[in-house]
Amino acid sequence: MTFAKTRPFWELAPFLIAAVAAIVLLFLAHAAQVVIIALLLAYILDPIVTAIEAREVPRWTATLLVLLSLGLIVGVVAALFVPVLAEQLRALQSGTTNQAAATAIGTIQQAVRERLSFLGLDDFDLNARIHEFRRTLGEDVFEFLVNDLLELIISVVTIPFMMFFFLKDGRVMKKNIVSMVPNRYFEFVLDLLYKMDVQLGNYLRGQFVDALTFGILSIIALWILGVNYFVFLGAFAGLANLIPYVGPIAGMIPAAIVAVLGSGNLGSALTVVIAFVILKLIDDFVIEPLVLATSVELHPVLVLIAIMVGGGLFGILGMLLAVPVTGFFKVVLKEGISTYRKYRFS
Amino acid sequence: MTDIRARVFGYRRKTDESEDLLTVLEKIPIFQGLSKRELSAVARVLHRREYVPEEVIIRQEEPGLGMYIIQKGKAAVMSEPGDIHLSELVDGDFFGEVSLLDETPRSATVVARTHCVILGFFQSDLFSLIERDPRFGVKLVVRVAKIIGDRLRKANQQMQTLSEELRRVRGAEARADRP
Repeated sequence: MTFAKTRPFWELAPFLIAAVAAIVLLFLAHAAQVVIIALLLAYILDPIVTAIEAREVPRWTATLLVLLSLGLIVGVVAALFVPVLAEQLRALQSGTTNQAAATAIGTIQQAVRERLSFLGLDDFDLNARIHEFRRTLGEDVFEFLVNDLLELIISVVTIPFMMFFFLKDGRVMKKNIVSMVPNRYFEFVLDLLYKMDVQLGNYLRGQFVDALTFGILSIIALWILGVNYFVFLGAFAGLANLIPYVGPIAGMIPAAIVAVLGSGNLGSALTVVIAFVILKLIDDFVIEPLVLATSVELHPVLVLIAIMVGGGLFGILGMLLAVPVTGFFKVVLKEGISTYRKYRFS
Repeated sequence: MTDIRARVFGYRRKTDESEDLLTVLEKIPIFQGLSKRELSAVARVLHRREYVPEEVIIRQEEPGLGMYIIQKGKAAVMSEPGDIHLSELVDGDFFGEVSLLDETPRSATVVARTHCVILGFFQSDLFSLIERDPRFGVKLVVRVAKIIGDRLRKANQQMQTLSEELRRVRGAEARADRP
C-alpha cells in the first residue's frame, strides 16, 4: 500500500531559518541580554515553582510567591551588602594608599623591571598604572550612572516581569511552538525538547548553585584573611567561577593584588592563592559532584573560543553567558543527532 | 442566541470544544472516573494534531513517546513488512499507551484512513503531571499499568488457547498418522 507522501525535510526549513534569525536578532539587539537573563533565571527557578504547584497552589500564585521571595532575598542582601560594597568601591577609587601598599608597589615594580626587561618593561611604572586604573574606574562609574542607569532600571523592571510570564506560561509557550511543527517531525522535536530540557535544566541549575556557593565561600575566606573589598572580590570570584579554566584564576588575581596592596606584604598574596586553591579543591571534589548532576563536556579550546567571542560581543556578561550558551548548542547538537538517527526520515 | 449562531454560521464557542474534549477523554479507560479538574489538567497538556487521509501517524520501529487518542476520524493499524492490516481504529480509540511508561520502538504503523483529529499524550507530559500533582500522577500511572496488565492477561489467555489448540491439532495429527 502507499501512504500519503511524507512532508520533506525542507518543510522544516522556514522554522529553522526563523529560529536562526530570531537568535541572530536577539543577539544583536540589546534586549537580547534582558531576554536571555530572564529566560535563564526562569529556567533555574522553574522546579521551585513546580514544587509549590505540587502542593495544590495555582501556578500563577506559586510564580508570584517565588518572585516575591526572590525579591525579598535580593532586597535584604542589597540592604546588607550594597553600603559595604559602595564604601569599598569608594575607598578603592579614592586611593588612600598606605605606606605598606607603597612599599609593596615599589617591590613589585622593581621585580618586574629587573626580571621582565626583555619584554620591554624596564621603565614599567606600576604607580602610574594604578592611578590610571583608579581614575578610569571613577569615570566608568560616572559614565555608567549617566548612560546605563536608565537601561539598568528598565532591566530591573522588565526581567522580573518577563520571568513571571516565562514561569507561568512557559509550558503553553512550548506547546504552541511545538504545534507549528509538521506532523512528520512533531515527535522528533518533542523528544528532542524533552531530552534537552532534562540535560540543560540540570546543567544550568548546577552551574548557578555552584557559582553561588563558590562566591559565598570566597567572601568568607577573604573576610577571614582580612582582605579589603572582600564582598566585591568574593562576588566577582563566584561569577568568574562560571567560566571554566580561566575563571578561577581571573577571580583569584584581583584578590591577590588587593591583599598585597592592603598589607604591603607579598606573602599575603600567597595566602590568598592558597585559600583559592583550597576553595577550588572543595569546589571540584565536594560542591560540583553534589550540584552538577549533568556535566556538559566542552573541549578547552571550544571554551576559550566561546569566551573570546562572548567577551568580544557583550563584554563581561558575554563571557559569563558564553559557556552556558555553548553548552546549550552542544546539547542541542548531540541530542539532535542521536534522536534524529532513531527516526526513519527519508 | 449562541445556538442560532452555531447552527447558521457553524460557529462554535471555545468552551464547547473543551467540553467535547472532556467528553472524549472521559471515555478513555486511563481517564475514566477522573474529576473535571483532573480531566482539564490532562486536556491542557494534550497535543492536538490533524492528519490527512493516508498520512502516517506513527511508524513501526520508531521510538514510542506516548499514546494517541482518536478524537475524530478513522485509522488503520498495519504491520510491516508486507503492510498486513491488523485492525481499524475509530473515534475514541487509543493506541501506544505502553510508550507512556517505556520508550520502546513502536510495534506497528498507524495510518489515517480519513481526515483525523488526534490527541497526543506523551511520557514527558505524564512526568510533568506527576511533578505538579504527584497524587494525580500516580493515579494515572496505576491506570496505565492496569490497562497494560489487562492486555498482558488477555494475551496470556490467547496464548494458552492457541497452545491448547496446537496440542489438540498435533494429537489429532498423531492419531491420524497411526497405522
